[in-house]
Amino acid sequence: MSDPPAAQPQPLSPTQSSPPPTQPTTDPLSNPYATLNDLSPDLTTLHDLATRGSWLTILDKVIHSRPHLTKPHQHLTYFSYNLLSLIKLRRFTDALNELDSLDHSLDSPYYLYETYPNHYPNQCGSMVPFILRVLHAELPGKVNGSNRQESVDRLYVLLEFVRGKFGRDNLSNTSRALWEKRECFVINSIISHHLSLKQYAVCLDLIKGLIEKSEGDGSKLEERMGLLSKLGYIQMQYGDLDGAKTTFGFIEKQVDERVELKNLVGRNKALVYLVGKDYVSAVREYDECIERDGNDVVAVNNKALCLMYLRDLSDSIKVLESALERIPTMALNETLVVNLCSMYELAYVNHADVKKTLNNWIARVAPDDFDSACTRI
Amino acid sequence: MSSSATTSSTQGGSSGPHSLAFRVMRLCRPTFQVDTTPLRFDPFDLLAGEDLFDDNIAADNFASLISGIDSKYNGPDSSSDLTYRTRLLLDHPSDAMGVPGLLVLPQSFGAIYLGETFCSYISINNSSNFEVREIHIKAEIQTERQRIMLLDTSKSPVESIRAGGRYDFIVEHDVKELGAHTLVCTALYTDNEGERKYLPQFFKFMVANPLSVRTKVRVVKDITYLEACLENNTKSNLYMDQVDFEPSQNWVGTLLNADLHHSQEADKIREVFKPPTLIRSGGGIHNYLYQLRMVSQGSPRTDVEGSNILGKLQITWRTNLGEPGRLQTQQILGSPIRHKEIDLQAMDVPSSISLEKPFEVRLNLTNQTDRLLGPFEVWLSQSGLSSEQVVRVNGIQTMALPQLQAFGSSELHLNLVASKLGVQRITGIIVFETSEKKTYDPMLNLEIFVDAN
Repeated sequence: MSDPPAAQPQPLSPTQSSPPPTQPTTDPLSNPYATLNDLSPDLTTLHDLATRGSWLTILDKVIHSRPHLTKPHQHLTYFSYNLLSLIKLRRFTDALNELDSLDHSLDSPYYLYETYPNHYPNQCGSMVPFILRVLHAELPGKVNGSNRQESVDRLYVLLEFVRGKFGRDNLSNTSRALWEKRECFVINSIISHHLSLKQYAVCLDLIKGLIEKSEGDGSKLEERMGLLSKLGYIQMQYGDLDGAKTTFGFIEKQVDERVELKNLVGRNKALVYLVGKDYVSAVREYDECIERDGNDVVAVNNKALCLMYLRDLSDSIKVLESALERIPTMALNETLVVNLCSMYELAYVNHADVKKTLNNWIARVAPDDFDSACTRI
Repeated sequence: MSSSATTSSTQGGSSGPHSLAFRVMRLCRPTFQVDTTPLRFDPFDLLAGEDLFDDNIAADNFASLISGIDSKYNGPDSSSDLTYRTRLLLDHPSDAMGVPGLLVLPQSFGAIYLGETFCSYISINNSSNFEVREIHIKAEIQTERQRIMLLDTSKSPVESIRAGGRYDFIVEHDVKELGAHTLVCTALYTDNEGERKYLPQFFKFMVANPLSVRTKVRVVKDITYLEACLENNTKSNLYMDQVDFEPSQNWVGTLLNADLHHSQEADKIREVFKPPTLIRSGGGIHNYLYQLRMVSQGSPRTDVEGSNILGKLQITWRTNLGEPGRLQTQQILGSPIRHKEIDLQAMDVPSSISLEKPFEVRLNLTNQTDRLLGPFEVWLSQSGLSSEQVVRVNGIQTMALPQLQAFGSSELHLNLVASKLGVQRITGIIVFETSEKKTYDPMLNLEIFVDAN
């Protein structure tokens, strides 16, 4: 991949264009937080590479940039990008070694702003990017599936840590909002582990907590409905069809006319048809979703499966192939490819060749972290 | 079958290379994909120190930093987005749960259990360069006991399958037998040289028992309790849809539920959360308790011998995406009921009984059969194990009672006297049916308190 363009000049922030009268006049040029690149050198580029899935390039860039970093927090930011890249690339042992190479524990005073008053006058608190704590918790389970319990334990410890942050009185509103998001994030991550361990009862308890919290804290409607839908999926997954229908009905009563929400409801309806083996109606619902939003990959993928249960293997293959061609960055995910390959295996005696063609195409367009094992070649 | 959901088969027949081949995939329901740790984050968990925005100047710049990051940060509107941002950034907090709603096809043949439905996608592929014609396709399940035809196109054969073409069908079969099963797919077709060819292919699988059901029957006074312990022998959690006791005609049964900790608040969230009954995979258990009562109190009973059949359990469960399963147990037998032909109940016992003073006990003798019994003689057995008979009959030792109509009853008064202080028992009342010369020991066990004068 060619090098990304150098950082673009950043637009002025609202505070700079019209500084509130109460605030002392700040020189836009000396504002330490005007752009990402003010936070750490070349951060815009790193972020851009990460959203493009160019994790190999990030590894390179980190190696070259590290000697030029000047402040402690910059080292930690680059360290985080490096660690995340390794994990995204499934180089878990390297990631483990990298994490072990960190000189101090994440709670060490070495990672507090106030330890370096010359760099960070008037600043205090932890400069550790939160992601490091998350990756530290998740890594054991990634390295070895049998260590998943260790990851779950660490996530629960992390949850306590995050909740401890609310107790502080010097929190800015922005900070408080971030920590609340983090709490939510950690709970969701914990649910994800319990789900793969099929520990549904604890999942339900945790989701219940999240729903109650989201009702009280003014979360956006689409976020609340998204969360409830996931509850419905989980109920369906373990077989409670009536429970799922109740949940979906509850969502339907609350949504507004936005496409995102209409599609959520449409996909839920399709699922209810699907579990009732009415695949024709399910396909119809999915078609309506796709018409409203051509990028609704969930609808596309699930529609293809319904076609297959309707004995229409040829069309189910077509639906997935055309989605990959039309919206590759949206559609290219491991689950969709797994499904397509299962269909190939059924449809073609020479499926190995067909899958190889797909694999070559994937190698050209996929992000670095795409797991090509999903083609089962 | 093999570990892949699409299975290879053993091929029968020997007539050279075939133009056609069967491809088979077990088509159980799809599953929601769960990505453990999807590695999607809030951008500020990566870009900045976790406490950076404690700083007021940093906090004031938060909005402008966001706009510099990602125009899509405030919601997905991605028609022109050519990045893979959704693999890194969260759209909604719950995305971190890793359940995007994508369904995935069954990835392995999996285990199949009694009571489930075996469903299979069968595709017959023509991998040759020639058209084949006049194809008779059959699919059947063979077990040790029987053969069940699932598909037979002999009457209206498939006209042709072009080179590279396919003919697909889906078959279903309710699994009602344990052990080895074979899905036999056969095709009889005419190849390009006009030769009639026969292609049989066999797909084998085993059917296992999903549940073991252990029952215990206890009788407490007049009520029978049936305890059923269901153990899950499968590799998936079982969502118990219904575990119903279907009583035989003499019984009615009610499921007894422990009072669950129902929350007082009946708000809208809670109506969504009905706690499910899930039995964990690989040996999880759940107990059900039923209270059973005889329905025939007072009405003519059916023959005593047959009536210890309590009934059977109808069990339905669901697994992945509502995949159903159903089983019923064999008849569950109660403890053999010693149906008493006659019954003796105490009607009235004086509350205060004095030592060595006569007292009267009123008893009721019932004929529980549908025929005439009697006349009877009633006395107090002297051959009890206790060396000393504390309560004795006062006066005539044997009392005569007239005949009793079917289901009729009659009252009798026993005149007794107690010879010891304290709590004593009246035991050993014997009822003798004089016409059939049959002795009954109604096991009446009465406690009395004997006071000093």
